[in-house]
This record gives sequence, structure tokens and C-alpha cells, in this order.
Amino acid sequence: MLEIKNLEASINDKKILKGLNLSINPGEVHAIMGPNGSGKSTLANVLSGKNGYEISGELKFQGEDLKELPVEKRAQKGIFLAFQYPLEIPGVNTNNFLKTSLNSVLKSKGENELDTLSFLKLVKEKCLELGIDEKILSRQLNVGFSGGEKKKNEILQMKILDPNLCILDETDSGLDIDALKIVAKGVNSSRNKKKSFLVITHYQRLLDYIKPDFVHVLSNGKIVKTGCGELAQELEKTGYEKLN
Amino acid sequence: MMQDFEINSSRIDKIKKISEKEKNYRTQNLDFFKSVGFPNKRLEDWKFSDFKDIVNKNFDELSIQDLSYNTPKMNLLKDFDHNYIFLVNGSLHSSNFNFEEKKKIKINIYDKDINQQISKNPLVCLNHALSENGYFLEVERNYKFKKVLIIYNYFTKDIKNKILNNKNRIKINENSELHVIEYTVNESKFNFISNVHEDIELEKNSKLKSLYIQHDKSNGFFHKYIKNKLFYNSDYSNLIFSSGLKFNKLDIECDLIEDKCNCNIMSALFLKKGEHQEIKTRINHLAPNCTSFQKIKKVLNSDSKGIFQGKIYVKNVAQKTNAYQLSKALLINDDAEFNSKPELEIYADDVKCTHGSTSGNIDEDALYYLMARGLNREESVKLLVKGFLNDIIEFIKNPSIKIFVENKLEDQINGR
Repeated sequence: MLEIKNLEASINDKKILKGLNLSINPGEVHAIMGPNGSGKSTLANVLSGKNGYEISGELKFQGEDLKELPVEKRAQKGIFLAFQYPLEIPGVNTNNFLKTSLNSVLKSKGENELDTLSFLKLVKEKCLELGIDEKILSRQLNVGFSGGEKKKNEILQMKILDPNLCILDETDSGLDIDALKIVAKGVNSSRNKKKSFLVITHYQRLLDYIKPDFVHVLSNGKIVKTGCGELAQELEKTGYEKLN
Repeated sequence: MMQDFEINSSRIDKIKKISEKEKNYRTQNLDFFKSVGFPNKRLEDWKFSDFKDIVNKNFDELSIQDLSYNTPKMNLLKDFDHNYIFLVNGSLHSSNFNFEEKKKIKINIYDKDINQQISKNPLVCLNHALSENGYFLEVERNYKFKKVLIIYNYFTKDIKNKILNNKNRIKINENSELHVIEYTVNESKFNFISNVHEDIELEKNSKLKSLYIQHDKSNGFFHKYIKNKLFYNSDYSNLIFSSGLKFNKLDIECDLIEDKCNCNIMSALFLKKGEHQEIKTRINHLAPNCTSFQKIKKVLNSDSKGIFQGKIYVKNVAQKTNAYQLSKALLINDDAEFNSKPELEIYADDVKCTHGSTSGNIDEDALYYLMARGLNREESVKLLVKGFLNDIIEFIKNPSIKIFVENKLEDQINGR
């Protein structure tokens, strides 16, 4: 699914990722943990294709080189990034945005676009499944949403777009336990043999609900340790300090 | 480059049935116009719209439009039920008030008001000197219009290098209400100037909602001066969606003469290549407990130019005034230009006045967010533009009119 070899990324001449290696197979859930400033969000941005980074190394998604591919093409091909800080877009209705977004993805795959009725049916189904209040659909995109609502909206988008690789950038930060459960439910109910997840988090708490197949520790732009689920619990006890 | 624009005083002699007094008034105005000419940037009110320069660049010749015209075929809008007034080149052609009690409505050719002072605006003087046509609409007491009134403002295809001067007046009497949409349809492919003077009077407890929108793009150069007089507890709102014009200057002056009046001026404009739009307002708070609210939003593409000059004046007796003014511009292109001049002049001490003005480019982070959901750059920009203008459309309460305006704006944004 995803092959990263010796990935380096800098922004404004500052090197953030310094030779990162990571391989994710279909159906796997990988967690990336690490202290502040280790490069976790940079990795998420680089994978989704945000402008402004200078990149070298190998970055392949389903066998295709990602480096030259613009943001929207990556999204259309099935890379989804749940933002750490989802943006507020005034004047844009959440429902319209979701529909435009889904239809862009469907169109790029050569599939039929959904009409308003079929879309509404789908979106209501997903809201019900996740336990998200439908009212957010008629509101302006993320405007005045609470932290929890914003993150739930990210998971709803993930459910609707049905991507192959889901990157969750600190989706758990700022969430109460109920919202955390909704996020975890969204991920767990989507898990299947074809779909992969990259869960970026500070804390082990989210990993109590989303059981990862692998846990990686990112420090100073590199993955310094890889293990199974227990590694997260170990880190919770010892902290990141000891790794350096 | 245009040769000098000359108007012979004998032009006034040709105007039928005017008294000696009126003739004098017209001559005074014409003399003033002739001494100043078209307004240029040296006049403070025209510093961002050098009309003299614009006329010189766009007209090889220019003359006064005659009243005769061939009546164009009028296509009524089918989007919602409405009454209508049909103007051809600014002249009142016909009207239809089938949804209303006809005895409550008076519609006539404008009766000339020659008691106005000589204006400092040369175009207003030119209008006072030469206008012969336009409408006077009066709504009797205690009558609320059941359906909206559309003023179809047609310009015929033979108008070329002409200037048209028209005068309109709307008077709403006590406890009455009217909702007007001015819908401009331009069949001329040539350049011309439309110079309109409009008087609006709102008596006690009356209400006027007006909305401006165009049928399509136009090579017309439009100037309109609107003078509003608001009496006790009256309510005036003006929504401006006049995109697609080569030049448009709306100069709106609002006198809040008695207690508890409210005045709203809102605009959502999407300007493209070569377009120039100015909205100039002056809200005169002359009595206590009045409110005014102005929100102007412009999206500027290519080399377009948008201007907002807004003044709020609060007289010493106008305590408890609540006045709000905000202008915002979204510049899509580095060549686009936005000028804003907000002004407050306050002589009362117990008032709340807020004003602000911002301009900026498209938010790159917002673009990234939308594109990360599969929308390409163009689609994302369009979505952000629509979002930016949307809160003005939200002020339209009638659902079918709202959809109509949304579709028009969408067509403009999509370049149709």
C-alpha cells in the first residue's frame, strides 16, 4: 500500500524528516507516536501533498510515485488525511461540501456521481452509524464547531470518501471520552483487508480503542523503534526521554 | 479619445411643458456641469473613480439620448410571481399590478422636483438639467404589497455612445410595505452611460426592501444617486448584486430623520476583467434611536477594481445611535485593486458605531483542506468565493428570490 524509503523533507531550509522508512501493507493499522517536534505532522502533510516541502527519497502509494502528484489527485486515488486542526470555511455548507468532495472522487475514478437524494441517504446512514448528529450537515463547514464536532466531522468525511489509506493526525487530541469512542468506532468499523490506517498520536489512550498492528516511535525525523501494541503501553510508562 | 462633450443650452428649450422657474433651475444645473465637466479624481468623492478619464478612454463620441425608442420584447421572469414596471431606456413604458389592490398604488411619469439644491456632484447636476423621464411610484397608506415588484430596466440595442438621464421617485406612505427588484436587461452591445437620480421617501412605520441585479454582462456605464428620507420607525434595506457591469457607481445617501429608523445596505459583488464598481454611502443619523447596518463584500478577479466609500454621520441629537459598517474584499488576482474609505463623523456621545475594512487573498490553508478532499484548485477557489459572498445572500428571506439570486451569482462565478 505505502512504501517510504529514506524520506527526507525540509521546509524553509529546515530539515524535519531525516531518512524515514515505513512500509504499510493493505489491512494493517500502524500507529506513530513521538514527542512534540519529532516530525509527526510533517509526515502527515507530506503524505497528503501539502505545498511548501522539499522532498527526497522514495514515496510510493500502491506502486505509484507520489512525489509529483498534487494534493487533490492523491485524495482522489484514496489517501485521506484527517486534519489535526480542521479548517473553518465560512459560508460553505457542510452537506454541499461533502457532496462536491465525494463526487470529485467518484468522477476521478470514472464512476457515476451521486444525485442529491442518493447522497443524502448515504450521509444520513453514515451519521447514524457513527452516532453523529445530522444537524452538523446543515451548518457551515466546521464554523463554530466544538473540537469534538470538528474531529467527528473528519471521521464522517473519511467514512463517506471511503479511502484506501487513512491518516489520522492527532485526531484524539482535545477529545472527550465519548468523542474518542466515536472516532475509534469510525476506524474500527472501516477496518478490512484492503484498507490501511496510519494513526498519529501523542498518547496511548487512543490505542486502547484502536488496536494497532504496529507501533513506531518517531524521534528527530526518523523512526527509532518499531514494535507491537505493547510498545505504546511501555512508552506511556517510561516516556520518550529514554529512547534518546 | 473623445472630443469635448458639448451640450448646447438650447437642449433645455426642447424639453416640453416647463415653466420659466424650471427652465432657470435646469439652466443653473447645466451651467454648473459645463463649468466642471465630468467628475475627475481631483474631486474627493471621485478620487477612486476618475469618470472623466473613463469616459475619455471608452467613448469616441457622446451625445444625449432622445426619448424615442423601439419597444423591445419583454421577457418576464418565471421564477416567482411578481408585479412589474417596464422601463425602456429609463422611460416608463408600462406597468402591471395584477397581484395588488390597484387603487392603493399610483404610478406615473416622474413629477419634477425643482426645489433641490445644486449638487456638488456634476453628474447629479447633469441629471437635474436634462432628465425628462422616469417613474414616480406611490404606495398609499396601510398597504402591504402581496408580491414583489420587479422593475425591468431595459436598454435597447440601438443605444450607442449616448448618455441617458432619468429620474425616479418612490414614496411609501404610513404603515405600508414594498419589495422591489430592479432587474437590468441590456440589449445594446455598445457603450453608453446611464445617469439616474432616485428619491425615496419612507413615511412612518413603512418598509422598503430593494434589490439590484443584472440579467447579464453589459457594456453600460452606470451612475446612480439615491437619496433616501426615512421617517419615524421606517425601515429601508438595499441589497446590491450588480456584478457584470463595465462601470457602476452607486451613490446612496440616507437621512434617518426621525426616531427608530433602520437602514441596511448590503452587497455581494463578483467582478471580472475590466469591471469597475464603486459603492459610496453616506448615512446621516439625524434623530435618536436609529440603527444602520452596512456590509459590503467584493470578490475581485483579473484587473477589476472595487471601491467602497462609506461615511456614517451622527448628529449631536442622535443619541443611542447604533451604526455598523464592514467592507471586505477577496482579491483573486494580484492585478485586482480594492480601495476602501470608511469614515465616521460623530457629534453625539451615547452611540455605538463600528466600522472595519479588510482585504486579502484566498486562504491557502483553506484551499489545502478542500483539495485534500479531492477538489481541484479551481473548484476549491469557487467554493471559497461562494462561501465568502454567501452571508449576504442569507439576508434574502424569500426562498424563491434567494434561489434566483444564488443561481445568478453562481453563473457569474462559473463564467457563464
